[in-house]
Amino acid sequence: MNIILDTIIFLGKFLYYALESLIVSLIPKSKKDVAGEIVLITGAGSGLGRLLAMHFASLGATVILWDINQEANMETCRLAKKKGGVKVFAYKCDCSSRQEVYKVADQVREDVGDVTILINNAGIVVGKLFLDTPDHMMERSLSVNAISHFWTYKAFLPAMVKANHGHLVCISSAAGLFGIRGLSDYCASKFAAFGFAESLFYELGKIKGNKIKTTIICPFFFNTGMFEGCTTKHPFLLPIMEQEHVAQKILNAILEEKVYLMLPRFIYFAMILKQILSPKVMNVLDEYLGANETMTSFKGRVKADETQSETERKH
Amino acid sequence: MKQILPKLQRKSVRDEFQPKAEYLVTTAYGCEQQTSLLSLRWRRQLQGVSQNMSSYLKTTMGLLVFLGKLLFSGSMSLMFSVIPKPRKSVAGEIVLITGSGGGLGRLLALHFVRLGSVLVLWDVNTEANEETRRMAQETGTTRVHAYTCDCSRKEEVYRVAEQVKKEVGDVSILINNAGIVTGRSFLDCPDELIEKSFDVNCKAHLWTYKAFLPAMIANNHGHLVCISSSAGLIGVNGLADYCASKFAANGFAESIFMETFAQKQKGIKTTIVCPFLIKTGMFEGCTSSSPTVLPILEPEYVAQKIVDAIQQEQLYLYVPKSLYFMMFLKSFLPVKTGLLIGDYLGVFNIMNGFIGQKKKT
Repeated sequence: MNIILDTIIFLGKFLYYALESLIVSLIPKSKKDVAGEIVLITGAGSGLGRLLAMHFASLGATVILWDINQEANMETCRLAKKKGGVKVFAYKCDCSSRQEVYKVADQVREDVGDVTILINNAGIVVGKLFLDTPDHMMERSLSVNAISHFWTYKAFLPAMVKANHGHLVCISSAAGLFGIRGLSDYCASKFAAFGFAESLFYELGKIKGNKIKTTIICPFFFNTGMFEGCTTKHPFLLPIMEQEHVAQKILNAILEEKVYLMLPRFIYFAMILKQILSPKVMNVLDEYLGANETMTSFKGRVKADETQSETERKH
Repeated sequence: MKQILPKLQRKSVRDEFQPKAEYLVTTAYGCEQQTSLLSLRWRRQLQGVSQNMSSYLKTTMGLLVFLGKLLFSGSMSLMFSVIPKPRKSVAGEIVLITGSGGGLGRLLALHFVRLGSVLVLWDVNTEANEETRRMAQETGTTRVHAYTCDCSRKEEVYRVAEQVKKEVGDVSILINNAGIVTGRSFLDCPDELIEKSFDVNCKAHLWTYKAFLPAMIANNHGHLVCISSSAGLIGVNGLADYCASKFAANGFAESIFMETFAQKQKGIKTTIVCPFLIKTGMFEGCTSSSPTVLPILEPEYVAQKIVDAIQQEQLYLYVPKSLYFMMFLKSFLPVKTGLLIGDYLGVFNIMNGFIGQKKKT
C-alpha cells in the first residue's frame, strides 16, 4: 500500500517538475544580484578567469584573484578595477600545492572575509599523446585541474555551510564528458572535477534547507589561447567559440543558478547520443565530427615559466 | 577539374576592370591566348562555380561515406544485440590483475586461470595475494605469478613491471582493478586519505598503462580493462573522493581508447566496467532501498559478466542493466526531475550505513 502511495506521489511530483522546467526554459530566469558577494577565481591571470573577474567586478562583487603568474594576475586586477571594480584583490597561489592553498586561503579570510562564490577555473593542458606525455606533466595536470578543487573546497566550503550561503562553480570541459584523443591527462582531470563537483552537489543537497548552489560548466574549445591550434571539422555543430561569448554564458548560468551548462548546445545532444548509441556507431559519429583530429595541430600556450626556464638553461 | 580550366595571368597590375585591357590566358596546353574581358569574367565565374561544386562534392561524399558507415555499424550493433557475440579465447594470454588479493580481483583471477591464461597477480597485501595464488594453482596450473606492489607508487609500478616483463613476458590483458574507498563525507575526510584514494584508483592506471601499453602497441595485441564504478558515471554523496577518482579512471580509459582508435591500432581493445555496489566487503554496510532496480550485486555474477565483456570485446559494461537506462535519463532530464528519481530510488541514502572493509591486522 505504501509503495503504491509513494509511487503516486512520485509520479505527481515528476509531472510537476517536468512541467515546471518546461515553463522555466521558455521564460527567461531572473538573475541574482552579486553585489557585495566575495568571488574567488583561480587561474584569473588570463583567458576565462580574467574575463569572469572583469564581469564580476563590474557587477559590484568583491573579486579575489588567484593565479600562479603574479604579473598576469596584477594585470587582471588592473583591468577589473578599470571595469568599475572597487574591491579587487590579487594573490599569487599555486593551486596544485595543498599547503599553499590553505595558507593563501587563511590570508584571504583575514584580509577580505569569507568567500561566497568559488570559481575553480585554473587549468593546464599538455596536449600530447599519452605515451609522449612525461609523467610529471600528467601529474601536474591532474593536480591543477582536479586535485586543487579538493583543497579549495576544503578551504572555503566550511564557512559557506556555516552561513548556509554560497555558490560553488566548477569549470570542467566537454573533455570531462567525452574522452578525446591527445587529451588523456586533461580528460582524466576534467572528468574528475565533474564527478567531484556533482558528488558535492548531492552531498549538500542532503542537508535540510541547504542554500549553497552548484554550477558545473562544460564548454567545448574556445579561443583563449589555451587550445591554440585546435581545429574543428564542423564549426556549425562544434565551433571554436569566442571567449567573450563563453564568459557571458557562464556568468549568466551562475547568476541564474543553473546546475549544468554545456556549450555549445550540441553537447547536450551528444551526451544523449552517447547513452543511446552503441560504441561502434559513436565511433563513426566521432570520426565524422573530427573529434579525433581536433588535437592533431595543437600548439597551446607558451607558458611564461617555461620560456623562463628555457632562457635559464641557455645561460 | 583544375586541368580543364585555364590558368589566369594578369598582364597589367592596374585595375582589372579596364574595358580595353587585354589579358594573357595560359591554357592547359601551355599556349598563351589573348582574350577579352568578357571571356575572362566568364572563365572566372566558371572557376568559382566549379570550386564550389568540388567543395559541395567533397561535403556530399563525406556525408555519404559517413551515412554508409553509420548504417553498417548500426546494423552490426543491432545484429550482435540479438545474437551473442563470439567469445575470444584468452588461453595463453598474460593477464595482469591489480588488487588481486581479494574481492573482484580474486574472482577474476580464478576465471582467467580456468580459461587457460597466464596470471600475474599484483596486490599491496602479500598474504592475501599468496592466498589468491594458492587458489588459482589448485586448478592445476603452474602459470601463476604473484608480486607485491603498491600501485599508487609510480616507481614501484615501474620496477615490478620490469620484473614481470623479464620473468613472464609482455602483458596482453591489463585489468586495473585495485581500488580503495574512504566513504566519509567530504569535509570529514582527512586530506591524506583523499590523496591516497586518488593515487590508487586513478593514478595507478596511468603508471600501469605507461608500463605495459608500449609493448601492446608494438605487438598490436592487447586488452585494457578499467574497473571503474557506477560512481564513475554519477556523483554519489559520501563518496566525493571515490567519485572523482573513478570518473578520472573512466575518462582516462576512454581517452586512451580514442587514441588507439584514431591511430588505427585495431589490435588494442578497451573495456570499461561500471558496476554498482558489489558484496565484496569493500562497501560493507551500504544499503539499496530499490533492490529490483539497483541491487547490491553478487561478486561471482559481476566477475562472470566482466569476463564475458572482455571476451566479447565490449567497450562499456554497466552492471546492472538498469544503469544504461538511468544514464540515458540523466542525459536529458532536468535536474529537479533527476533528483526526484534519485530520491525515489533511495540513491542518496546508500552510504548512510557505510562501514567499509575491516583491515586485516
